[in-house]
Amino acid sequence: MASALTVLRRLYLSIYNWTVFIGWFQVLFLALKTLKESGHENVYNAVEKPLLLAQSAAVLEILHGLIGLVRSPVSSTLPQIGSRLYLTWGILWSFPEIRTHVLVTSLVISWAITEIIRYSFFGMKEAFGFAPSWHLWLRYSTFLVLYPTGITSEVGLIYFSLPYIKASEKYCIRMPNKWNFSFDNFYAAILTLGIYVPGSPHMYRYMLGQRKRALSKSKKE
Amino acid sequence: MKVTLVSRSGREFIKGGLELNDSATVADLQEAIHKRTKKFYPSRQRLTLPVPSGSRERPVVLSYKKNLRDYCDGNENSLTIVFKDLGPQVSYRTLFFFEYLGPLILYPVFYYFPVYKFFGYEEKRVIHPVQTYALYYWCFHYFKRIMETFFVHRFSHATSPLLNVFRNCAYYWTFGSYIAYYVNHPLYTPVGDLQMKIGFGFGVVCQLANFYCHIILKNLRGPDGSGGYQIPRGFLFNIVTCANYTTEIYQWLGFNIATQTVAGYVFLWLLLLS
Repeated sequence: MASALTVLRRLYLSIYNWTVFIGWFQVLFLALKTLKESGHENVYNAVEKPLLLAQSAAVLEILHGLIGLVRSPVSSTLPQIGSRLYLTWGILWSFPEIRTHVLVTSLVISWAITEIIRYSFFGMKEAFGFAPSWHLWLRYSTFLVLYPTGITSEVGLIYFSLPYIKASEKYCIRMPNKWNFSFDNFYAAILTLGIYVPGSPHMYRYMLGQRKRALSKSKKE
Repeated sequence: MKVTLVSRSGREFIKGGLELNDSATVADLQEAIHKRTKKFYPSRQRLTLPVPSGSRERPVVLSYKKNLRDYCDGNENSLTIVFKDLGPQVSYRTLFFFEYLGPLILYPVFYYFPVYKFFGYEEKRVIHPVQTYALYYWCFHYFKRIMETFFVHRFSHATSPLLNVFRNCAYYWTFGSYIAYYVNHPLYTPVGDLQMKIGFGFGVVCQLANFYCHIILKNLRGPDGSGGYQIPRGFLFNIVTCANYTTEIYQWLGFNIATQTVAGYVFLWLLLLS
């Protein structure tokens, strides 16, 4: 029962997922290549373009959820995408001094592997209607390692950029101004670090629950 | 009749059950449970009829006013009830009092005390008239709310879990401080005189209207909180269903027009969302 809209939706989502998949594949490939050829200091420069593109494309997923194109609840995708965009644009792109840090390598590799599996999984389902069980297993198991490595990298990078954030005054809004508002990037970053404390176990537990649901459901079929 | 009480896992909650008069009400049952268990006062008890296992229906909650007989479907001599502990409860009066106390006390701290020293600003500051009026306006608002909580509002039987006190207070107290910080800031930029007057004037009118709405609502219920849900009529209720909320929102708008802070507008926006 394939109405024109359903076909269109599947076509669009297939193109979307496979395109972003290619982006993240490039990130992983270039990261590993640079690591082998020169060193971790150059990883960011090598992956910058595909990273910025692929990660920013994720904003579309919020839109997809909002208009009902996909079933994912906005409430769980928002914090995930929020932290990604914060790291990508708010830290790495904004404060070049941090780009040579070794945690950048662990960050992009963790993200890239996760996203490659995830986007190809959805790409398969939208384009071909199914995904092999090993693929499902990968999607719901690799986070067990990649969440800790990814989160550690995120927290580490934010922490190590703190001195640069403080010194540069970037994005800070000072008083006096017409709207009587102020924003201190340094303290906001510290607050963000604080959010990771309850936020990370919460997300991890959420994924564990998702894993249980997904893997037991596939066993029943 | 004999009432058997079980926990949600099926275990018998009170050994041997309770023996009650055939004409007993649910409230009587609650009293009996309280007497027997000492710890679980009636507002902590959530009593429901058992739901057959596997069924996805929502359980029927016992209403304290009804007779136990009304819940017996067939066997008039025995009844099985599922018990759940809702945790320590506080009355809504207590909850509201502590929610509003924070903003009432914390805001003047920013006005009167040299707190900005700790943020790195010098002690000397010029106080603009609008900041003083804002102080009076704000404190009047929360003072009014506390007075209404004790003397005007008629609450139904409902209570609130103790945890909500901490959660709600955290929200009100933090936001109150956040707004107070900006309005009383040494580098605060006031708006024009006319804008200030319009803002506060409009706000005061809305506060008075809000008070009148509360009086109308109060008169819908008897002194013991009876009356249940009714639709209010008259005054602004002829135009909007929740006129008391509408006036509340507009009076915050008045405050924001007069004081012009992003913090204040964010608070208003969150209020609109809730």
